[in-house]
Amino acid sequence: MLIRLEDIRRYYTVGEEEVHALDGVSIAIEKGEWTSIIGQSGSGKSTLMNVLGCLDTPTSGRYILNGQDVSGMSDNALADIRNREIGFIFQTFQLLPRETAQANVELPLVYRGLRARERHERATAALEKVGLANRVHHRPNELSGGQRQRVAIARALVTEPSLLLADEPTGNLDSATGEEIIRLFEQLHSAGHTLVLVTHEPAIAARCPRAVRLMDGKVVSDGPGAQVALESRAERARAAAAAVAP
Amino acid sequence: MKPSVELYEGTRIALSSLRANPLRTILTVAAVGIGVATLLAIVSIIQGLNASFAHQLESLGTATLNISRTPQISMGPTWWMYRNRKQLTVPQMQAIAAQSRYAAFVVPELNEESKDITSRQQTASGVDVTGTLGDFQRVGGYEMAKGRFITDADSDNERFVIVLGSQVAEALFPDRNPLAESVRVDSRPYRVVGVLAPKGSLLGQSLDLVAFVPFKSFLGVYGKRDFQIDVALHDPKDLDKAEDEITGILRRARNVPPDKPDDFSVFRAEQLADIYKGLTGALYGVAVAVGIITLIVGGIGIMNIMLVSVRERTREIGVRRALGARRRTIVVQFLLEASTVSALGGVLGTTVGLGLAKLVSAVSSVTAVVQPLTVVAGVGFAALVGLVFGIWPAARAAQLDPVEALRHE
Repeated sequence: MLIRLEDIRRYYTVGEEEVHALDGVSIAIEKGEWTSIIGQSGSGKSTLMNVLGCLDTPTSGRYILNGQDVSGMSDNALADIRNREIGFIFQTFQLLPRETAQANVELPLVYRGLRARERHERATAALEKVGLANRVHHRPNELSGGQRQRVAIARALVTEPSLLLADEPTGNLDSATGEEIIRLFEQLHSAGHTLVLVTHEPAIAARCPRAVRLMDGKVVSDGPGAQVALESRAERARAAAAAVAP
Repeated sequence: MKPSVELYEGTRIALSSLRANPLRTILTVAAVGIGVATLLAIVSIIQGLNASFAHQLESLGTATLNISRTPQISMGPTWWMYRNRKQLTVPQMQAIAAQSRYAAFVVPELNEESKDITSRQQTASGVDVTGTLGDFQRVGGYEMAKGRFITDADSDNERFVIVLGSQVAEALFPDRNPLAESVRVDSRPYRVVGVLAPKGSLLGQSLDLVAFVPFKSFLGVYGKRDFQIDVALHDPKDLDKAEDEITGILRRARNVPPDKPDDFSVFRAEQLADIYKGLTGALYGVAVAVGIITLIVGGIGIMNIMLVSVRERTREIGVRRALGARRRTIVVQFLLEASTVSALGGVLGTTVGLGLAKLVSAVSSVTAVVQPLTVVAGVGFAALVGLVFGIWPAARAAQLDPVEALRHE
């Protein structure tokens, strides 16, 4: 078991109102699984992604990641967990604009305290793995959207994390490029990586072996990706019909 | 992350971010640089002034006491306190010479200021004419360029001989040897027996616009009886003891009752130094304050720029935090950026400040003295300003919530 969430709650206070972004979420994810978390905006999927990524700490509940209870860890300990256990892939890539692809990929290794030579070797290998061996010295603005996301994936892979966490990874890409990235995820999955992909698109959830659907901070379904995607489509259709009904 | 790696990476990031905004960096560096340059130039110039003053004082003879009826330096209208004091007399002077263990030379000194001295064709104006005895040469530390100094025999025989300061000799005899020539002071002829070696100036006043005549000859001409007694000591360290001893001798010689204050005044060249230090000390304080204020203004500039930088790079901070940077690492990164800017300013300011000091030395009579400690202090203080004013922006950067920071547009 790589991830175990037990009754995770995350409440915010907005003004005088308490928002229940996550309201008792319990999920278990095995090593090597590819899971998508699907939900509409406001469903709590971004909060769940932040909790899973140790960027945010839950109000209550337990989060066991790779055998460690991270729910009550200090800020420094969480920084180290993020560095060792988690590889982030963001919708907006989040590359440092002034640095080359190589330097961007090396960044997490800098925080791990590796020597320049080892960083260099590992970053080059990671960029090769995502098919960017010939773009090592380019800066993000010299790369296409798909290439930027590949750099970001290389950066996530370079630390050999136990979990790859992707937040709408195709959201800023055209459909053809998005498809390339999904195929890359398929390769990573078959190579044994554990993937969690947060999306609002049923079509993408349908490609994952497993999907978890969130609504109002609660898990409403958990099953094979194709089936959950169907439910999600049906739910959307109902919502759309209700909106136009007289 | 090891501190060494943290420092190295932090510096690398700082330099790359400074390169990314060259104009901003240059302006901030200039702001700090101006502060450091001001501070350094002023301190160097004042230290130079002090050093040259100390040197000049030395040439005046620090191991000297001057005893006179009224104080040489007094503040406010106090003349009435001294008008009933009796004049110093030659027997009193002889008593000091006979009884003092610390005194090496004891001579009388009488002055007529701003006299005209004429040779056949030339006139030297503003000459300070002193009537004294042979030992005055030792007391005042005068070297002879030509001839001899006046002697006690000159005085005893009331000879009309004169020793000229180098500037006076040059003015009167630009192309001739002055020795044995005749000059006139107040229409009275004197024979030149010696010319002094140049002594330079003190506080802008020439020490070479002087002339010496025998004591008794001077008394005969000007009828002045109120003279000053100059005492040169064997050892400058004995100044305090000598002052006590001579005060005692004089009180006895002048029959001052034990319950009355001294009816004469003792002056030391040292006191001149104290007055000078009091004056330049205030100037020094003001100048250093101005320099520090300029540096603080530079520091506020740095803080402003760093706050802008933190705001602009909020997402970058979020990314770094997501990838495993600890808060401390972020703090170190921004502190290094701030102190790099200010240290660059410090180096620039030091260069410019030293240049200014050199320039002032070159175009004026003031010699600037640059002490290595001043340079170290200048650069160090600049870097400190960067650190201090970088703390708040760096802390703000580190306190950012990674989730919020990543979402920042």
